[in-house]
Amino acid sequence: MTPVVVMAAGVATPLGLDLDTFWSALCTGVDGISAIERFQVDDLRVGRGGEIKKLRAPRQGRLPRCRASALLALAADDLLARGELSADPGRIAVVVGTALGGVEEGDRALSEGGVRVAAAGLYDSPAHALARRLRARGPVVTVSTACASGATAMGVGADLLAADAADLVIAGGYDVLCRFVMRGFDALRSLTRERVRPFDRRRSGLLLGEAAALVLMARDADMARPGLGRLLGHASSSDGSHVAAPHPEGRGLEHAVRAALAAAGISGDAVDFVSAHGTGTPLNDKIETAVLRRVLGARAGTVPVNSIKGALGHTMGAAATLEAIMCLLASRDGVVPGTAGYEEPDPACDLDVCDATRAARPRVSLSTSLGFGGCNAALLLEGAA
Amino acid sequence: MTRILGVGLLTGWGAGVAALPEDARHAAGQRRIVPLARPALTGDRFRRATRESLLAVAAVDAALRDSALDRAAVAGQQTALVYVTAAAYGASNKGFIVATAGSAVRAEGGLTEMPSGSVVATSRSAVRAEGGLTEMPSGSARPYFPYTAPSAVPAEVAIEYGLTGGYVILVGGAAATVDALWQASMLLAAGRTKLALVLAVETFEECADLWARGRWTTPRPLVEAAACAVLAGPGDDLAYGPGEASALETLATRRAGETLSCAPLVGLALARAAGLPRARVTGHWRGRRAQIAVGT
Repeated sequence: MTPVVVMAAGVATPLGLDLDTFWSALCTGVDGISAIERFQVDDLRVGRGGEIKKLRAPRQGRLPRCRASALLALAADDLLARGELSADPGRIAVVVGTALGGVEEGDRALSEGGVRVAAAGLYDSPAHALARRLRARGPVVTVSTACASGATAMGVGADLLAADAADLVIAGGYDVLCRFVMRGFDALRSLTRERVRPFDRRRSGLLLGEAAALVLMARDADMARPGLGRLLGHASSSDGSHVAAPHPEGRGLEHAVRAALAAAGISGDAVDFVSAHGTGTPLNDKIETAVLRRVLGARAGTVPVNSIKGALGHTMGAAATLEAIMCLLASRDGVVPGTAGYEEPDPACDLDVCDATRAARPRVSLSTSLGFGGCNAALLLEGAA
Repeated sequence: MTRILGVGLLTGWGAGVAALPEDARHAAGQRRIVPLARPALTGDRFRRATRESLLAVAAVDAALRDSALDRAAVAGQQTALVYVTAAAYGASNKGFIVATAGSAVRAEGGLTEMPSGSVVATSRSAVRAEGGLTEMPSGSARPYFPYTAPSAVPAEVAIEYGLTGGYVILVGGAAATVDALWQASMLLAAGRTKLALVLAVETFEECADLWARGRWTTPRPLVEAAACAVLAGPGDDLAYGPGEASALETLATRRAGETLSCAPLVGLALARAAGLPRARVTGHWRGRRAQIAVGT
């Protein structure tokens, strides 16, 4: 594929409402998990998650009432402090991934009247609100490959650039912690009452988080500066095996990773670092380990792997974009954040899991994602350094 | 250029182009929604599946028949699936919200949660207002949470037909379906897939009350639909981008009514029925109109 430059990034996370705070917190081991306060959780088994306690005022405009749109507005605000939308507005595309869209507004619409509230409940409403905010008048695309959405959105954005359907793309993902999703995961018994421990022998489940993460992408050939780095390849695939559970051998994930490597024109030997999906559920981490062992071969035990979900929870639609940004920052600063909660190795997850922040400067990083509906996605990123 | 091998079309009017009236608005009369029945697919695996998932499976089945392809031809990693919907997740989302509102009410000191079954608490506001329980429509017992994700619909298709190739899910109306046709063509052009299915499903009946609020913004009638196009070819020469409304877009709306994301696929089916060798397909949604050219 035609490589695209990631010019800049912006985030809104439980670890911080700007990129520098997020990155610093991630590298220093700040815990973004807390008791959820924004909505009722006392009837749920688990009432903790990566909740953003207080939203700040954006530099421009007002904060939208819809929380999903508000998180996107804050991430865009952070992005625009680092990158300029220097293109014809008709050639600026917005591609945003989400697992939940505006469902919290949909919930509200069932108890409150009004067409505006009902319309805000549509999954693509926050993306259109973001485009209006940015005055972007190119394609506005909402991707919903569940918890792989942030990766798929970056891939679709790269395709828009490759097809010359846009000159700049703001791509990323978001999702909010709300009663709807907490109730759902609580019913599935997927949430842990303990700490999230990706790849740890004692891992017992995930916790959810909320965030928005955006990147500004352009064609490599159009940019004089390298920005944060490049998206070398991407791919998505279907498991075709179960509506909720991943394929037991990671068939779909392996296909996505191999297709992304092929798109980038590199082999597994070129991968210096893996940002794993690493939810901390017994099944996910074991499957990912098996896939990475098959793809990376003999090097699998020596390539650093981390998961940031122990620090801020599983941020669903935002997760993959946050992880892609983390990969590029790791290359820039020569530091790979540790895996919060990882203390006791699991023989079934025999990878080089970073238990603490480590000095390393990966050139090429692989980021993997999985989601409900048998969704898989893989990104290959190259740091600018 | 991308070639359309076949189109499967199910609408509230019936199966295929032949079932479409000449003027949907006139044919609908006073009906705001023209519904599609839940397909009678057998098998234990479909016991828990939603109506929209089953409609998707039925639309793919119709598309394969129209393409003269069997299941073996699409199974595996060489077939991509690109799914689009503007609103088909609404039914499962609403069902889950309504069904699980019972526990919230209980926690507020009001009611006792009902056992899983056909009777559950209605929405919080309704419970507060009415002080009681409301019987849900048949089959609306607490939904399985993963079915609230838009990805559940293509997942059922992928499982049923063994599709393990490229996988993209877009949310939006007719313009998103044009994006989906482009995305499928990109996968074909890159050699990542040999065939691609572009699938769209729209259901409205379960959320009729919400759609009624926007009746001044949504054209009438809303017609439930499920449609699938089978794509092949080199995926180039697409003319993808912004464009004016095509004659097919106007015709599809007149014949089928408002089918949101299914509209461009209705247009493709009409183009094939008319024997057009090539079609410029357009779709409009939220102020944006996109176009793409395909061989039919």
